[in-house]
Amino acid sequence: MTAAAARPRRAAPLGGFRAVAAVVAAAAFPGALYGLPLLGVSANRLAIGEPVLAGTGFGPAILLAAALGAGASLLLGLSRRRRFAACAAGLAALGLLLLLAGLGQGAANVLASRPPAARAALALGAWLALGGTGAVLALALRRAATPVPGLAALAVLASAIAATGAAGLLDALSLAVEFRTRREGLLGALGEHLALSCGAVALAAILVVALRLFRGARGAADLLASGIQVVPAVALLGALVALFSGLLKAAPGLREAGLSALGTAPALIAVAAYLMLPLQRGLDAAWRAPDRDTLDAARGLGLSPGQIVLRVRLPVGAPALIGGLRVACVQAIGLATLGALVGAGGLGRLVFDGMAQFAPDLILLGAIPIVALSLLAEMLLSALAGSLQP
Amino acid sequence: MSATDSRKRVLAPAALGLALAVLCHPDVASAAVAFLGETPRRALPLDHLGALARNHLALAGLGLALVGIGGAGLGILATRPGATRLRPAIDTLAAFAQAVPPVVAVALALPVLSFGGPPTLLAMLLYGLMPALRGTVAALEAVPADAREAAAALGLTHLQILVKVELPLAAPGLLDTLRTALVLAVATAALGALAGAPTLGTPVVAGLQNQNLVPMIQGAAATAALAFLCEALLLAAAALAARLARS
Repeated sequence: MTAAAARPRRAAPLGGFRAVAAVVAAAAFPGALYGLPLLGVSANRLAIGEPVLAGTGFGPAILLAAALGAGASLLLGLSRRRRFAACAAGLAALGLLLLLAGLGQGAANVLASRPPAARAALALGAWLALGGTGAVLALALRRAATPVPGLAALAVLASAIAATGAAGLLDALSLAVEFRTRREGLLGALGEHLALSCGAVALAAILVVALRLFRGARGAADLLASGIQVVPAVALLGALVALFSGLLKAAPGLREAGLSALGTAPALIAVAAYLMLPLQRGLDAAWRAPDRDTLDAARGLGLSPGQIVLRVRLPVGAPALIGGLRVACVQAIGLATLGALVGAGGLGRLVFDGMAQFAPDLILLGAIPIVALSLLAEMLLSALAGSLQP
Repeated sequence: MSATDSRKRVLAPAALGLALAVLCHPDVASAAVAFLGETPRRALPLDHLGALARNHLALAGLGLALVGIGGAGLGILATRPGATRLRPAIDTLAAFAQAVPPVVAVALALPVLSFGGPPTLLAMLLYGLMPALRGTVAALEAVPADAREAAAALGLTHLQILVKVELPLAAPGLLDTLRTALVLAVATAALGALAGAPTLGTPVVAGLQNQNLVPMIQGAAATAALAFLCEALLLAAAALAARLARS
C-alpha cells in the first residue's frame, strides 16, 4: 500500500472523529452542569462544603448556559468556516457570562436561609463548565484567526464580567466574599507582583544586551543562561538568600542602603536569572532575521552601522525579539509567585497564606490574577508580534 | 558534534552536581555558613537528607513516568497522518497550560487532593505534559519523509514504520524532551515541599521560615545537585544513543 493510497482512507475517520468529539463535548456541558455539584455550601470559610446540585433555585441561566456551551462546541466541531467559529466564540462568551450570573443567583438563593458565616464555593461541575466554556472560547477565537478583534472581544467580555460583579450578581459566591474582605491586600499584592515581574524582565534584558556587547563574554553568557535553567527555583532562592546574608555581614553598609537578605533583591535576581535564556534566544533570532542581500543593499545605500541597526535590523527582527519577550514575561509572572517565599510580597503571598490556612478561596484569589496576567501577557505580545510581521 | 564536545557537555554538569553534593554534607554546609559570617546552627543529619533525597527522586520519577507516557503517547497520536489538523488546537491548549505556573498548580490542587505527593504530581502533569507533547511532535516531525516513504515501499505496516523507523530516527530529539521533562520534574518536586511533601525543598522552605542558613544551603545544594546529575545522566544517554546510531 502506498502513502498516496493511504491518505484518503485515513482522512475519513478523522472527520468522523471530529464529529464525535464535538458531540461528546456538547453533551459534556449539560452533563457537568446537571450531573455534578455546582456549589459546595459550608458553615464557614474553612469548613468542608456539602454539595448542591443544579435545579434547586438556580434559575433559567444555568439551562441557557448549558445550551450555549453545547451549541458553541457543535458549531466549532462540525464546521471549519471562520464565520461559524466567530459565532461559536460569541455563543461561548455569552454562555460564560450567563453561567457566572446563574451561579451567583444560585448561591444567593442557597445562602438565604443560612447564618451569615456560611459560604457557597464553586464546586466541580461549575469549574468544569467554566473551564470548558473558556476552552471553547479560546479555540473558537483561534479558528476565527483575528488577533486584534479577538482581544477586543475578550476585553468586552472582561468588562461585562466586571459589570456583573459590580451589579452585585456574584456577591453570594465565596470568592467574592473573600475578595471584599481582602480588596486592599489584593491590590497591593498585584502592584508588587507587576513591579517584581517587570523589574526582573528589565534587569534580564539589560544583562543580556550588556553581555552581548562584550564579545569575549559571549560563551560564558550562553553557558550561564542555559545552566541556570537546570537549577530548581527553590534552590536558587535559598542560595541567593544565603549569599545575600553573607554579603551583608561582610559589608554592613549595604544594609543601611536598604538591602536585606530577605526581600525584593534576591527575588528580583532569581527571577531575572531564568529570563536570560528566552531573551537571549529572541535577540539572537532577531539578529539573524535580515538576510545578507538586505544588509548588503542597506550598506550600498550608504547607511551607517547605527542606521542599519535602527532601520533594517530592528524592524525585520522585531517579531523574533517580541517572541523572546513574550516567553520571558509569561515566565516572569509565574516565577514572581515564588518571591513571596523570600518575603518579596506579590500575589504569591495570598497563595501561600491560603495554603497555610488551607483556605481554597484565598488560594484562588491569588492564583486567578496570576493566570489572568500570564494569559494577558501571552495574548497581547503575540498579537503585537503578529501585527509587526512583515 | 564531536566526541570531545559531547564529553564536555556531560562532564560539566556531572562535576557541578558532585561539587554541590559535597556542599550539602552537614559539616561542609556548616563551614560554608561560618565562611559567610553567620554562626552555624543545627544542621540536617545526613541520613535525614538521604531519606528526603530518596523521596524527592521517587516523586520526580513518578511524575516523569506520567508526563513521559502521556506526552509521548499523545505526541505519537498527533503525528499520525491526518491528525495534523489538530495541531493548532494543541498549540492553543499548550499556551493555556503554560499560563499556570507549577507553584500555582500545586496550590490549586491542594484543596482537592489534600497535602503531600498527589498535588505535586498533578502539578507536574499539568505543567509538564504540553512541553513533552510538543517536544515529541517536533522530534517525530524532524524524521525525513524519505525514510518513512522508503519503509512504506518495503511493505512495512504503520506500526512497524513507527517502531523501526520513526522512533529510532527521532531518538535524539526524544531524549532531549525527556531531559527537559526530568529537570522540570525535579524542580516541581522541590515545590512540593510547599504542599507538605517531604522532599529536598523542605529544608529550604523550613530554613527560610526560621532563618536557619545551614539546612537552607543543604537543601538548595542537594536539589541543584540532583538536577545537574539527572541532566548529566540523560546527556550521557543521548551521547550513547548517538554513538550507537553512527555505528
